[in-house]
Amino acid sequence: MSTVSETISRGRSARRVRIDGWRWGGRAFLVFMLLYTALPMIWMLLTSIKSGFAAMQFPPQWWPDQPTLDSYQKLLDPQNSVGQDFLRFFWNSLIVSTATTILSVIVAVPAAYAFSRFTFPGRNFLFFAVLLRNMFPAVIFLVPLFILMRAIGLVNTHGSLVLTYLTFGLPLAIWLLKGFYDNIPVQLEQAARIDGATRFQAFVLIVMPLSAPGIIATAIYSFIGAWNEYIYAYTFLSKNEQLTLPVGIQRFFSENTTDFPGLMAASFMMSVPVVVLFLLLQRYFVRALTEGAVKH
Amino acid sequence: MAHVVLKDLVKTYGSFKAVNDVSLTVNDGEFVALVGPSGCGKTTTLNLVAGLISVTSGDIVIGDRVVNDLDPKDRDIAMVFQNYALYPQKSVYMNLAFPLQMRKLPKDEIDRKVREAARVLDMTQLLERKPRELSGGQQQRVALGRALVRDPAVFLMDEPLSNLDAKLRVQMRSEIKRFHQDLKATIIYVTHDQLEAVTMADRMAVMNGGYLQQYDSPAQVFAHPANMFVASFVGSPAMSLIPLEASTANGGAVLTSAEGWSLALSPRNAQKVARATTRKVVLGARHSTIKLHKSAIADAIPAKAYTVEPTGDVTFVQAFLSGAIVNISVSPNVAIAPDEQIWLEFDQERIHLFDSETEVALEAS
Repeated sequence: MSTVSETISRGRSARRVRIDGWRWGGRAFLVFMLLYTALPMIWMLLTSIKSGFAAMQFPPQWWPDQPTLDSYQKLLDPQNSVGQDFLRFFWNSLIVSTATTILSVIVAVPAAYAFSRFTFPGRNFLFFAVLLRNMFPAVIFLVPLFILMRAIGLVNTHGSLVLTYLTFGLPLAIWLLKGFYDNIPVQLEQAARIDGATRFQAFVLIVMPLSAPGIIATAIYSFIGAWNEYIYAYTFLSKNEQLTLPVGIQRFFSENTTDFPGLMAASFMMSVPVVVLFLLLQRYFVRALTEGAVKH
Repeated sequence: MAHVVLKDLVKTYGSFKAVNDVSLTVNDGEFVALVGPSGCGKTTTLNLVAGLISVTSGDIVIGDRVVNDLDPKDRDIAMVFQNYALYPQKSVYMNLAFPLQMRKLPKDEIDRKVREAARVLDMTQLLERKPRELSGGQQQRVALGRALVRDPAVFLMDEPLSNLDAKLRVQMRSEIKRFHQDLKATIIYVTHDQLEAVTMADRMAVMNGGYLQQYDSPAQVFAHPANMFVASFVGSPAMSLIPLEASTANGGAVLTSAEGWSLALSPRNAQKVARATTRKVVLGARHSTIKLHKSAIADAIPAKAYTVEPTGDVTFVQAFLSGAIVNISVSPNVAIAPDEQIWLEFDQERIHLFDSETEVALEAS
């Protein structure tokens, strides 16, 4: 009797030691990853509130001696030429990203619903064709798309970017949303149709509100993709007043090589909309990513 | 309320026939159960009536209209789904109000009807809750409420009780039956549970493989199953079906088993056997019609008890005859041990005879 319980307890403690080893290893790894991602951002923020001189000092000032918001004031001042540029780039990025997001939701929602609910000829082929684009690196399409845009006269317009970002963002948006609609029981629509709704009303009144987390996730995804995109914006746009933020900041960098605080302040402000958007909607986003893990 | 007529209804998916020439009439105010094993076409039939899928051929009549090409919303029906299909984002009140809002009723009338339905179903205190805050039985009640709030011509119910636990199912079964009696509603009720069909329905339509097997009152279906499928599907435990060979001996008909024993038939049963297409026939007997003896008597067939299952009220004994399982029910006072020698006596008035080729019940002329 005693030998049995001894072996059990020994076996249990031995196992516990091994689990703890893994657990601490995992924690160390997570801490490393956290620092790896957070430190550059923290450094960016710290540099942005230094003076130009302090930013160039070596050894570096870990905490600025005289923190200043000068760089931010300069960037947000419409009277200042740097501020004018920055605000225009910001506005351009906002327009392009918002247009991409809205169009992407408008197209992806009905497309995903159709893929989820209807059987039609070529359904599977189309569904995988939608993904085909994502099998190639985006740069491959740079030259062909540029030629295409020139042919239809869209070079140097924001429309060219919106169109391009849609072709990149839509496939994943459709996939994401289709998974969502697959998880909404078809009986809900059937019930609505029997209760007096048309097929379209059943979709708009019952299914759409239920898929709101998915739609929000899709929207965030499209917005971030468009907001951060650099290569196509760099290729398709050449006029200064049309540039989006990623390209604009890069230009800013080459023109003001020494103004690191200004550059860092601009980078920080560029990440603000994405972070704000994410914080506001993150509970939907997280729900979207976990939905379907459990059958309701 | 209205009657429903299905005329030569067919639904095919590619080469697969889900519903095959089903014709039946549901009278005004009648409770009809569509019953059969899964995949038998009963839910497809219900969805055809609801208009959720389109008819391949045949007609569906509700009231006096052929509704084949009408949208579900224009058929004046209400449906209760197996998973209730309550709108998760809406409160119970809004769930009940939805069918009325869709019909653009004035607000005060909607309010009156919703509260009336809630009162009837005893859930006034639940009106502000969301479906996920309700128990299974309450959700089921809301689903029922959403169906009845609109006073439709026909109620369609798709296995509404199968998601409930056993105790609640029995309780809701009597509530739905009461609901039918009070409202005199026309109800088409799909279930795979023959017991639900037998206990609730005025008439039951037994389906298998897309075909309607028999359509009659539960008592008739139970007493006169049209074929071997119906015989084995309706009733629990299932009717025993024993394959035998018919022959004539001493001027009377006899059923002989490959095991060596034989059973002399009454003149009326001999008449039935004479109508079989071949000499192979199947003897059917329900557990309650077989008498079990612990010693040999004339005309009783020897067998060995295989399992003994006491259920409290009654004890079920299983034995093998001609390779088929035979269920017998005996009083719990009768002590029988597994492998004990027993003798089985069939009641000539209550046995069923089936043609083993066509599986159809044999009738005397």
